[in-house]
Amino acid sequence: MKSELYEVWGDTVDGRHLIYAIAIGAIVSLGAFFIAKHLLVGWVASAQMARAYAMLIGIVGCLAGGAISAALFKPKRHVMEHQADPAWRAQVLLELQNEFGDLGKLSDLPPATIAELREMDLYELFADYERAQLAKVDSPEPPALNVESAVSIKGGRS
Amino acid sequence: MMAPLLDQLLIALGMGILGAVIFAGIGLISGSDETTTLAPLTLLVVLLGVPAPGILTFFLAGAVAKHMTHAVPTALLGIPGDTMATPLMREANFLRNLGVPHIALRKMISGAVIAALIAVPMAVLFAVMLSPFGDMIKRAAPWVFLAAAIAIAWFSKGRLAAVLTLIPFVMVIIGLQTMTGQYGVKLSVSYFLGIAIGPLIAALFSLLAPAERDKMRRQDVRTFSLSPDVKSWGGFFPNPLKVLDRKQSMWTAVTAVISSATFVFSPVAMTVIMGEMVGSRVKHVYHRLTTVITARNGVTESTYIAEALIPLIAFGLPLSPVAAGPAAPLFNAPPRFSVDAATGQVNNLHSLLSTWEFLGYGMLAVVIAILIAYPFTMNYAHRAASYVSRKISHEAVIATFVGLILVIGIWEGGLLGLLVIITVGLLGGFLSRFLGFNIGVQFMGYYTAVLTVPAIVAMLGA
Repeated sequence: MKSELYEVWGDTVDGRHLIYAIAIGAIVSLGAFFIAKHLLVGWVASAQMARAYAMLIGIVGCLAGGAISAALFKPKRHVMEHQADPAWRAQVLLELQNEFGDLGKLSDLPPATIAELREMDLYELFADYERAQLAKVDSPEPPALNVESAVSIKGGRS
Repeated sequence: MMAPLLDQLLIALGMGILGAVIFAGIGLISGSDETTTLAPLTLLVVLLGVPAPGILTFFLAGAVAKHMTHAVPTALLGIPGDTMATPLMREANFLRNLGVPHIALRKMISGAVIAALIAVPMAVLFAVMLSPFGDMIKRAAPWVFLAAAIAIAWFSKGRLAAVLTLIPFVMVIIGLQTMTGQYGVKLSVSYFLGIAIGPLIAALFSLLAPAERDKMRRQDVRTFSLSPDVKSWGGFFPNPLKVLDRKQSMWTAVTAVISSATFVFSPVAMTVIMGEMVGSRVKHVYHRLTTVITARNGVTESTYIAEALIPLIAFGLPLSPVAAGPAAPLFNAPPRFSVDAATGQVNNLHSLLSTWEFLGYGMLAVVIAILIAYPFTMNYAHRAASYVSRKISHEAVIATFVGLILVIGIWEGGLLGLLVIITVGLLGGFLSRFLGFNIGVQFMGYYTAVLTVPAIVAMLGA
């Protein structure tokens, strides 16, 4: 069976659900607008204000249509609660190196940032990296950082 | 004397709270573009007859709140919260992959607080410095708009292509105006909305074409990894200056001042450039990531505030990408607000509020937005991101916007209004996708058609 999932305007939708959602949105919003306009023209003194209020109610109708669609159609997203795997962090450092070149030295950092790194358990990661860099200068071995099964975590350059 | 002032203050306060609450919510929805959301709702507020201070606080508090909560999807889900969040993605993703997305989030919104507080007085100051030239610029308005349109087109992604595309685009708008004019229908909001929502209209049409549909087909749903909740600060309202270190506060302040002055440039471009400037001055990579993301999110606030306030205070003409786009209803919202290029007559917030009022109500709006969006984002970011990504389907978001197109189009010009939105949106959406003729350039194209072309015709006729 062919997949009915499409990427539209930045996220995934189901084709059939999209058609229904658009129909619901159109009917509810326009319905609210026309009914409001019909009723208000009699009630409100100025025709201009009646039209402005009708638009306001039409926009409330848009939101109501969206709410109905949200209740009927579940998001096509898979959301995982997930802490970045510590094993990947070394990989991230490699990607940072590819992106920016030299990563800099911990000794350049103000004390507040050092404290912040310690609090996040990131201090050792950067310290290990620096030690590996120093070792590399001493012996022309490839860096000890190369993690196997390098899962690419994209830096998301856009 | 005191009673009317108190009334005005209360209205300004109420509208500011309303704007901040609505747009703090909208900011959580990824991809909710500023222009598509700020422009129509601000227009509504103008047309409902809300007094001038209320309009200003609604818009500013909304923009400031949105650029704080847009940090939630950007940092926690790895998807840009809106257009202004796209330049933050690289740093946000690196910090997420390092396992510290909450740091990215806290730094971003703390930068936003500092920059927003600095930007209002700076924008007023620059506007006062520019206002002696106001009359000159008003008289030359048609030509200033033409020059601005060409400049903004040149600095867009399309470069020369965008500059040349201005000509056919302006022709189409003049053609549509002439056509609807024959039926006695004069439209403006429909053009704004068509341009702002163009990418959605283009995407929906693409979905109907078999070849394009196959390209858009996906086998699986997208996977988002939501980072777990880490709260590592006490109290409900953390001090932004403690979240940031000295250097980060300093760079945020510096970039906020610079980006407040450069109000004619694209806000996205300023965000990128300011980030590069800061990044090249910070050595260690972790410090660089956090400092750049702080300064960049600060710039998303300061450019928006300055680009709306400076042209509004100094000229009353929408002479910046933000003023021409999301802030357009503050300048031009017929029948209430209007800009007449031929006579230089301006009737909008520029003529309704004094410079001191702009400063006072501007600061009020920023403070309201901070009091609402900052503690909300600090304390509930994780729950909000989880709710939005699990409960609000993209179909529902699209349905809401389709409803908006229908209601606004039919409200302004009946069937003709709707047809104009679809025509302009489809054309603009594809021009933006294929030629880099972006939304800001399209807005300037619209102003060229409305303001410059009549002046050219008059000149040639004389």
